[in-house]
Amino acid sequence: MKRIFNMSIRFIQVSLASVAVAALLAGCKAGGDNPGREYAPNMYHSVAYEPLTQIKDKEAGMWLSSLDNGRGEFYNSNDYNPYGMNMRLPAPNTVRRNANGWLPYRGANDTTGLRLANKMVNPFEATPAILAQGKMLYEINCKHCHGAKGAGDGLVADKYPGVANLTGDAIKGVSEGHIFHVITYGKGLMGSHGSQVNDEERWKIAKYVKQLQTN
Amino acid sequence: MKKCLSDPVKLLTLLLFSLTLSFTSYAQEIPTDQAIIDAGGVLFNGNCKSCHRVKQKLVGPALAGVETRVPSIDWIYAWVRNPAKVIASGDEYANKIYNEYNKSQMTAFNNYTDEQIMSILAYVKAEANKVDAPAPGTATTTAGGDAGVPTAYLNAIVIGMILILVLLLVILVLIINALKKYLDNKDLSPEDQEIVHSKYTVGSMVRSSGFIFLVLFIVASVSFKNIIDGLYTVGIQQNYQPKQPIAFSHKIHAGQYEIDCKYCHTGALKGKQANIPSPNICMNCHAQIKEGTNTGTGEIAKIYAAIGFDPATSSYTGQQKPIEWVRIHNLPDLAYFNHSQHVNVAGVECQTCHGPIQEMDVVKQYSLLTMGWCIDCHRKTDVNTKDNHYYDKLVEIHNSKKAMKVEDIGGLECAKCHY
Repeated sequence: MKRIFNMSIRFIQVSLASVAVAALLAGCKAGGDNPGREYAPNMYHSVAYEPLTQIKDKEAGMWLSSLDNGRGEFYNSNDYNPYGMNMRLPAPNTVRRNANGWLPYRGANDTTGLRLANKMVNPFEATPAILAQGKMLYEINCKHCHGAKGAGDGLVADKYPGVANLTGDAIKGVSEGHIFHVITYGKGLMGSHGSQVNDEERWKIAKYVKQLQTN
Repeated sequence: MKKCLSDPVKLLTLLLFSLTLSFTSYAQEIPTDQAIIDAGGVLFNGNCKSCHRVKQKLVGPALAGVETRVPSIDWIYAWVRNPAKVIASGDEYANKIYNEYNKSQMTAFNNYTDEQIMSILAYVKAEANKVDAPAPGTATTTAGGDAGVPTAYLNAIVIGMILILVLLLVILVLIINALKKYLDNKDLSPEDQEIVHSKYTVGSMVRSSGFIFLVLFIVASVSFKNIIDGLYTVGIQQNYQPKQPIAFSHKIHAGQYEIDCKYCHTGALKGKQANIPSPNICMNCHAQIKEGTNTGTGEIAKIYAAIGFDPATSSYTGQQKPIEWVRIHNLPDLAYFNHSQHVNVAGVECQTCHGPIQEMDVVKQYSLLTMGWCIDCHRKTDVNTKDNHYYDKLVEIHNSKKAMKVEDIGGLECAKCHY
C-alpha cells in the first residue's frame, strides 16, 4: 500500500512538472505580434547588414552577445546611413551595368522629350519569345489598369480616373518609342513606372502593346 | 512677289472658311437622335474617357455644357482635329484652356469627321442632362449568411445542455442522500442494510490505486504531448501576424483589384529579395486615390507623410522619412533563399509559399518555413524545364521515365542553401 502511495506521489510530481513545462512552451508559439522563440538565435540573426531587415535596438540580444563593441548580438543597423537604414541609394552619377551594355534612358520628361522619343526604334524584333516576355510583363505591370486587351478596362480603372484605352484612336498610332517614354515617365494621370521596369522590359512591353493595338 | 502669292491663298482660305461656316451653321444644333447619341457614346468611351468626364474635371475639363462655353462649334471641330494649331494661331480661348491645364496639350484626333465630333457632343449633352442617380451595382453586396445555425448559438446551446446535466447530477445526489436518510430511519434486514451502505461508494473508488494511476497516466500523456508540440514551435514563426505601421490590405489590392504581386514586389522576378515596395509605387495610384476602402484617408495620409506629398496641392514637399514595416518572414541567417530562382525560373506562384495573400487584410506567415518544409517541396516538385535551355543537358542525362524532380538535380544538397 505504501509503495503504491509513494508511486502516486512521484507520479503527481512528474505530472505537475510536465504541465508546467508545457505551459511554458506554449508561450513560444508565434501568433499576432509575437514572433515566437528561436532555437540558437545567434544563427538566426545576420551579423552582416541585411537588406529589408533592421533592428535598431543596440541592446537587442545582449544576453548572448559575443561582440566586443558592447552591442547586442541582434543589432543590425547601419549608423552611417540616414535613419540607420541598411540599404541606400546608388551613388549619384553612377549607372548600373546591364547585359545589353545599355545606358539608362535619358530623354527629358517634357513634350520635347516625348517628341524626340517618338523617333526611337525598338531594339527588339517582334519574335514570339520577346512577345511572350512582353505579355508577361504587361500582365504584371499594366493589365490591372489598361485591361488584358488594352481597352482601358482593368479593374483599377473603375476607381482610378483617366486610364487610357491603348487601342483607342488617340493611342493606336503612337510609336513604340512613345510607349517607352510614357512607361518611363508617365503621362496625364499615369505615374512613372521607370523604377519598376527597366529599359529592356519597357521595350518588350512596348512591343506587346503594339501587338495588342494591331489585333 | 511673296505678298502677291499669299494674298489669293488667304482669300481662298477665307472663302473656304466662310463657306464651311455657312454650311455648318445648319448643323449647329446638337442632335438628340438616340442612334447618334449611342454612336457618340462609343467614341467617347473609347477615346475621350481617359482624360475627360462629362461632369468631373479630370486631366482635361468636364465636358458638360462645352458647346456653350467655347467660341463656336467650329472651334470644337478645329480643336479636336488639331489643338496645337489652334493654340499656335493665338486663339484666346484655346490659350486660356492650355494654360489653365498646366500646358498639357490634348491629343489630336485629326481624322474625325464633323459628324463624329457632333455625335460625341450629342452624347455629352445627353449625359449632362441626366439626373444623378445612384449607379446600380455600386451598393456593396453583403456576403450571404452561412447556412445553418451560427457558431455563437451552437456554443450557447452546448453550454446550456452541460449546465442542465450538472444540475440533474446534483439533484440526483440530493435525492440519493434524502432516500438514504429515509431508509436509515426504518428497520432494515442486514442484507438490505448492506445494499444501502455499500462498500463501493464513489469516494472509495476515487481513492483506489487503479483510478489514481489512470488519472495520472492521462495527465502525464497529455502533458508529454504538449511538451513535444511546444518544442516543435521553437524557431517556427508560422501565424506570426504583426501590426504594420500602415494598415495596407492585400485583400483589396491583390484580391479585389487583382493587381499582380510583382507589380509592387518588383524584386521577386529579379533577385534574392521580393522587396517591400517604395512609396513611389504606392503613389502611382494614390496620387489620385486619396481615400481608402477600409480606413478612409487615415492610412493613405501615412504614405503622403512618408514620401512628402501634400494632397491638397498635389505637390511634393521633399520631406521624406522611411516607413518602418515589420518583417514577417524571417528566414534564419543560416539558410539562403532566392526569390528569382523560385518565381522566375521555376514559375512557382507566390501563393504556394505565402498562402492566400489575396484574402488577407493583415498578412501572416502562412507556411512553416522549416527545412523539412523546403525539402518536402523539393522532393515533390518537377523541375520547370520548359523553354529553358539551361536544363537541356540535365534532362538528357536524367533520361528516365519519371519526371525530373528538384532533388534529382541537387535540390537536397546541404550547400545549396547552407554556406
